[in-house]
Amino acid sequence: MNPLGNFTTPSGFWNPILWLLVFLILLLLAYLIWKRGEESYKRGTMQTDPFLSGYGPESKEAIHVRAGNIYWGFTRALKGYYSFLRKIHTGIINDYVGWYIGILALMLLLYLLWGGS
Amino acid sequence: MVDNLIHLIEIIIGTILVGAFGILFGLLTKGIDRKLAAHMQWRIGPPIIQPFRDVKKLFCKENIVPRNAVTWLYNSAPIICLASTIAVLLYIPLGSIPPVLGGYGDVILILYLLTIPSLAMVAGGFASGSPFATVGAQREMVLMMSYEFPLATTVIALGWKISTLHPGSVAFSLSTFARYPVWNIMGPFGIIGAAILLVVMLLVTTGEITKVPFDIAEAETEIAEGLFVEYSGKNLGLFYLADAVKTVVMASLIVALFFPYNLSTYLASHISLPTIAWQTVDFLFYLFKIEIVIFFAMTFIRVSVARFKVDQVVRVYWGYLTLAALIALLLIALDVLL
Repeated sequence: MNPLGNFTTPSGFWNPILWLLVFLILLLLAYLIWKRGEESYKRGTMQTDPFLSGYGPESKEAIHVRAGNIYWGFTRALKGYYSFLRKIHTGIINDYVGWYIGILALMLLLYLLWGGS
Repeated sequence: MVDNLIHLIEIIIGTILVGAFGILFGLLTKGIDRKLAAHMQWRIGPPIIQPFRDVKKLFCKENIVPRNAVTWLYNSAPIICLASTIAVLLYIPLGSIPPVLGGYGDVILILYLLTIPSLAMVAGGFASGSPFATVGAQREMVLMMSYEFPLATTVIALGWKISTLHPGSVAFSLSTFARYPVWNIMGPFGIIGAAILLVVMLLVTTGEITKVPFDIAEAETEIAEGLFVEYSGKNLGLFYLADAVKTVVMASLIVALFFPYNLSTYLASHISLPTIAWQTVDFLFYLFKIEIVIFFAMTFIRVSVARFKVDQVVRVYWGYLTLAALIALLLIALDVLL
């Protein structure tokens, strides 16, 4: 296999092997820059305590921010969309089967109108 | 075989040179940005070389690893962030100087590669073991997901227009964008569409380099630098360098997509100069264009407005800017149909 050959699509192209090569070179370059900096710090002192903005020291579990908060910005900004989705999720199997059959019927209709050739 | 080897050596040397350029010019750009922002606020501001001094000082400071941190990930995140940011610059032309990996990746690849530095920052934030850093990392994720949609719409709209006019060309190659500059191929509706896309792209850039009003992941006054709260010394220095390079990357991408013009194309027939002299002129012109783009995408916006809240950022990108980009896409489609 030619390492300089590209993967191509009708509108684009890329070469993963060359990307990997330059990425490794750049990792080495960044590591060499990083290595020039000061290495030391005072291990086991208050210096290594996490910053809590004046709150008292807490256990690791108590200050943990749960991953469930990750989409807060999204759910808040797109509230209308998410509350609509939540309403659909009733937890009743009959509703889910109803949606399934309804969408299937719609797709069949679309197929009959425009599908095939 | 020998040709391939020579080409590989050229790529390696080019990678190191572009890396050095990205870091040095990025820091200089940060200095210019700070000076201009200061003047706009009636301050004298720091000297232009202040970012170089900041980095030098950071590299002399202690590199503290917090007690709860995942050490290997915490230390490797800034290295990955800097390396992956420079890697993107290798796909973008610098004036009339072709990109080091020009024939080996298109603009769609650039969009994907742009997520790696952000993911490295997120990984570093989560690895810090600090609640402020975790909140910052989560916000960075939200920000990243928010600007992807308008950014992708912009690139697809421009690529689609080129592919309809020139069906044989590789639409998403940056050399195709340089061959058929956006403003030359658009009709009246298309020009309006492209202008909207340019504004969208400038605002995406502000988010991509996490500057006001989209700096929710750092937000000094709310979450005390967010994902960087625990970082210090050389680790913070490396993130600082990555931020400088990312500014150059984003500005270069806008120049490559919207303003790929070189002075040599228009003046070489009137003024006789050696090729190397024209390349230098084009390179200086490219640096000038970069500074103009950075002024509008970063300096001007950050001194004019306050920071958005997290949900406002999502609403701006997914709501207003995506809508604007889709309207621009419709205008460009109209341009093709009429």
